[in-house]
Amino acid sequence: MKPPEVGCSQRGETPVNRFWSPPMVSSAVSSHDMTFGFLTVCDAANIGTFGGYLLVDITGRPLEFHCTAPLRVTRAQEILYGATLQRHLHGEQIGGPLLKATQLSPVAVLTDRESLLHARSYGASPLLAIQEQETDGQESREETLWLGAIRLRPHAEDISKMDQLRPHFETLSSSIELAEPFDRIRAAIDEAQHH
Amino acid sequence: MSARESERSRKSVDIESSECRLPSSLVSTVKSFVVPASRTLQVPIQARPVDVQDVPLLRQPVEVHSHQFVSGPSLPLEINDREVRSTSHAAVSRKRTRIQPPHDIVKLSERLFYLLQPDLETLLAGCRVSFPHPPFPFQFDGMAFLMPRFGGILADEMGLGKSMQAISSLRFLVHSGQARSVLVICPKGLVSNWARELSVWAPELVVGVIAGDPERRRWQWSLQDVPVKVTHYEAVIRDRSILDEMCTEFDLVILDEAQRIKNRASQTSKAVCSIPRKRSWALTGTPVENRSEDLVGIFDFVAPGQVHDGMSPRVLGAAAKGHCLRRTKDKVLKDMPPRLDADRYIELSNEQRETYRRAEEEGVLRLSEMGQEATIQHVFELVLRLKQICNFDTATRASAKADCLAAELEEVQSSGRKAIVFSQWVETLSRLRERLKSFGPLEYHGGMSTAARDDVIESFRNKSQHSVLLLSYGAGAVGLNLQFSQYVFLFDRWWNPAIEDQAINRAHRIGAVGAVTVTKFLSVGTIEERIDEVLARKRNLSDVILSQAEPEPAASLSAEDIFSLFGLKLPDQLGRRAA
Repeated sequence: MKPPEVGCSQRGETPVNRFWSPPMVSSAVSSHDMTFGFLTVCDAANIGTFGGYLLVDITGRPLEFHCTAPLRVTRAQEILYGATLQRHLHGEQIGGPLLKATQLSPVAVLTDRESLLHARSYGASPLLAIQEQETDGQESREETLWLGAIRLRPHAEDISKMDQLRPHFETLSSSIELAEPFDRIRAAIDEAQHH
Repeated sequence: MSARESERSRKSVDIESSECRLPSSLVSTVKSFVVPASRTLQVPIQARPVDVQDVPLLRQPVEVHSHQFVSGPSLPLEINDREVRSTSHAAVSRKRTRIQPPHDIVKLSERLFYLLQPDLETLLAGCRVSFPHPPFPFQFDGMAFLMPRFGGILADEMGLGKSMQAISSLRFLVHSGQARSVLVICPKGLVSNWARELSVWAPELVVGVIAGDPERRRWQWSLQDVPVKVTHYEAVIRDRSILDEMCTEFDLVILDEAQRIKNRASQTSKAVCSIPRKRSWALTGTPVENRSEDLVGIFDFVAPGQVHDGMSPRVLGAAAKGHCLRRTKDKVLKDMPPRLDADRYIELSNEQRETYRRAEEEGVLRLSEMGQEATIQHVFELVLRLKQICNFDTATRASAKADCLAAELEEVQSSGRKAIVFSQWVETLSRLRERLKSFGPLEYHGGMSTAARDDVIESFRNKSQHSVLLLSYGAGAVGLNLQFSQYVFLFDRWWNPAIEDQAINRAHRIGAVGAVTVTKFLSVGTIEERIDEVLARKRNLSDVILSQAEPEPAASLSAEDIFSLFGLKLPDQLGRRAA
């Protein structure tokens, strides 16, 4: 007896059509078909940096998951890239391909790493960084979206869309804790790493 | 020349040519320094070519692995009318129960599917299911254990809500479209109890009880629009041909009191295991009643081939681990009202003592005379006769135990509480009913119809004039929820401590409002004391397997044990058979 099969493919390949019917968990959402993306990176000692991108429906159920192979940075590269390393590594090398890998069009993408905001140009959806604690308040309140104790800082390109995004995030946060899917991504990357 | 050397050579040429094109303005700024003749400056000449290290830039495309979890048909999830809170869930610190992939799932994409699900609390909220009472955290853990498993044994100690956990899990499967046909098989006496539990914990599910004449049952089995069917073991044996004929595959089959199939050669086991099904869950508080093979029998249903006879208790425990979840009250319900055990050692009345002495002497004499012809059955007959005398003197009906029980019940009744009394014999229950008239006793045993038994439970629960319920171990030890009783009396002892525990846990379970006092009656200097010693040793076996500890010696009741109750030597032919 097998659990539900899920599609699994490398980038560029057509997803394998071996889906169990009925599925383990329905992803049927509302008529709005809202999906949300969660993008993060995590570092594994002596292995490198992994990227993970989870797309969920409005109830928090997974629809797609993409993760990268580990990317290792040498000391020489660290010196050469200097302050631009994280922006380049996270935003362009990891975040970009991940955002492009999805077949869905999320309402918005959340990240828990500021450096991943630099991946914005690789995807069409608004990209916002999630912060659970008060920061130094450099940005004006108008440039951030507050949901209780959670602060969402949008990419500069998406500041004008905040009013439009607010109700969607309020709906999502009534289902799940907005920072919670990042734990799932880390668990999945850890599983993939040890598999 | 390698490509790398060629590149170095080309760079070198470029540098030289660029030096040739230095602007004159720059050249004019070059000053000459003359070294004094008295000093010789030796500048080492680097003749060897410089070793150039290439530092690759981070430009190569990173490899991306993708996993899709595609939607499919299911019950619609209406989320639009859900209350939208202005604050995030992050503000609320709550327990998150994660569904972990079972050990036997090895494919990465399948393991990720489970890991990437939101926590169970969120999943259930997404299904818009509510609970009549908030489940305990360990019950969420139990659901997270069952839900992803295609073969699982929930072996919680009695009273921890195995039925509720199974119902909530099947409820989720039905809501999420994974299960459209579920079959619950339980002991006959518990069918109505299951129907009641389902109506409490999954009120929105249509439940059908398989009952009636053959034609009606055939029709009931064939109903497609009844997602949950409930039946009993005997019905499965009786209707096996109907099930074979219909070839219906159930999405889930749940066995309650699954120790019923511990004997793999039994008709029950064969009939249950032959039911086509996708998922197999077994519920039992006593997965190991007597021997480790009991667990092997249950595994034949949930995961055939996973364990087998001959495994040591430790190896068996390790092999069963991924499929079996067991929690005990002392571990998960630290705040549950305590269970107070009080053994009553009772001297037989003079009449009983005399009758007992005569019966034992005659019986042992007869067994001795039989010599090698004596069988276990002969010994059992004597044991049963002596135990009955310990309950009531056959001639005079004198009973020291009944006198003691009546005295105890005075206090129970005066405090407005309720007590349940277990005995092995229906005859004993009838005599007790006569003796305890003033306490409004009710009887519950296998000789009564299911409807009559249900009425008895309702009366005992709701009518204050009934202070005591007299139950047989056979009918009353499993499945009943009598947590409104604060006193349990074991008027005589059962052969198996697990059955006694089940009986006690009718009252000492979730929902118990105060301490539960358990009183076991033991007649001093009789066969009951000797059996009690053997039972104490038997308690070890279950713990050994389920905790994977080393076994204690002499953990089960052997033929030798039975003969030794009377100081008799095991006949040769039985000794050879046992070996």
